[in-house]
Amino acid sequence: MTKKVSEMPFDQLDLKRAIAGDERAMQRLWSQHAPHIDAVVRRLCGDPELSADVSQEVWMQIFRALPSYRGDSQFGTWAHRIAVNRTLNALRKIRRLAKLETDIEDDSALTEQDTDRTFLAESIEQAMARLSPGARAVFVLHDIEGYTHGEIGEELGITPGGSKSQLFKARAKLKKLLAHLVDESIPVGKGKAHVAPV
Amino acid sequence: MSHLSEDQLDQIIATERASQHAPLNDWRTIAARAREEGLIRESQSRSWVTGQPWFQAAAAMLLLVGGIAIGRTTIAIPSSRQAAEKSVEPTSSGAPVASTAPATSTTGASFASVDDASATLERALGDYQRASAFLAANSSGPTTVDSSGIYRTRLAALDKVNNAMESALRTAPHDPVINQYYLATMGARVATQQMAARPVGLALRGF
Repeated sequence: MTKKVSEMPFDQLDLKRAIAGDERAMQRLWSQHAPHIDAVVRRLCGDPELSADVSQEVWMQIFRALPSYRGDSQFGTWAHRIAVNRTLNALRKIRRLAKLETDIEDDSALTEQDTDRTFLAESIEQAMARLSPGARAVFVLHDIEGYTHGEIGEELGITPGGSKSQLFKARAKLKKLLAHLVDESIPVGKGKAHVAPV
Repeated sequence: MSHLSEDQLDQIIATERASQHAPLNDWRTIAARAREEGLIRESQSRSWVTGQPWFQAAAAMLLLVGGIAIGRTTIAIPSSRQAAEKSVEPTSSGAPVASTAPATSTTGASFASVDDASATLERALGDYQRASAFLAANSSGPTTVDSSGIYRTRLAALDKVNNAMESALRTAPHDPVINQYYLATMGARVATQQMAARPVGLALRGF
C-alpha cells in the first residue's frame, strides 16, 4: 500500500519558509494536509457552513503555531491535534451561546427522537449530523480518528466511561439512521473485528 | 424498523475513514486571512524561488524561448518584420537589438561547466529583455482594437495555464520540468503584457 501524502515527512525547508511567511510554502503545506484536517473539522462540526468557518480558524492557528512545531511528531499528527482542539473549542463556544439564547433543549431532544423515526440518512456524514454534538465528537474521535476513550476523555473533559457510553448511543442511533442502506451493495464481513481502538 | 449490524456499520465507517473530500475553503480565502494577520510576508513570497541558481538559469532560457514564440505569433509584429529589424542597428533609442549570440549558443556550443552554461543563459535573458524593450518601443506595426482583443484573450488563456501550472507545482513543487513550464508561462505573460501596453492608451487593465 502506498504511503499517504499526509504521512510523508514534512519538508524542513518548506517549514522554515512557511514560518518566514512564504506564501507558496504555506500553500503547499495547506494543500498537502487540508483534505485530512478539513475532514476532521467537517465531521466534528456536522454543518458545512460552520465547518468552513472553523476550518479557517484551524488553519490560522496552525500557521500561528508553526514556530512552536518541534518535529517531535509528524507534522500531520501535530496539525491534526490542533484541528481537534480548535474545533472542539469552537463547538463549546457555540453550545454556550445556544444555551444562552434558548432553553428548549429537552423539547428539541423530543422532537429529534420523533423525526428519527422517519429520517433516512443518505450517507454516514448526514447521519452523523443527526447526532448530538457530544456523541458525534466521541464517535468521530474514536471510530474514525482512532482516539482511545482515555484520550477522548481528556479532550472532552469526560471520563472514559462517559466516552464509552456516548459511543454506544451514537452507534445505536447510526445503525438506525443508516438501516435502509443495507442491501446487496454492502456485504457483511464475516468475523471482522472492530477496527477502532478501545 | 431494521437496524444495521455492528459489522455493517463498521464497514460504512471504514469507507468514510478512507474517503477524501475537497478542502472546505480555497487557498485564496485562507491566504487573505493569513495576510491580514501578517502571517504571509509579501517580500518572502517568491524570493526563495528566484534565489535558486538553476531556477534563474531555467527562467533565462524559457523567457528567451517564450519571447521568440511571442514574437512569432504577435499579430502586430510579423516574423518577417522582426527579421528585418534585427538586421538594422538602432541609432537613438538606446536599446540595442538582440544579438545573435544565443542562437549560436544553442545550435552547437558545448559548455565547460554549470557556471559557463548559467552565464550563457544570463546573457540570453539580458538579450531577450533588451530585444523585447526595443520591439515594444520601436515597432511601427498597426495595433488595432482587434489586436488588443487578441492580447486580452491570450492573457486570459495564459492566466488559465498559469493556474494549472501553480496547481501542478503544489503537487510536485521541486520538479524542474514543471517549474520550467511555469516560468515559461510567466515569461510569455510578461511579454504579452509588454506588447499589449505598447501603444499609449491601449494598456490593458484587469489582468
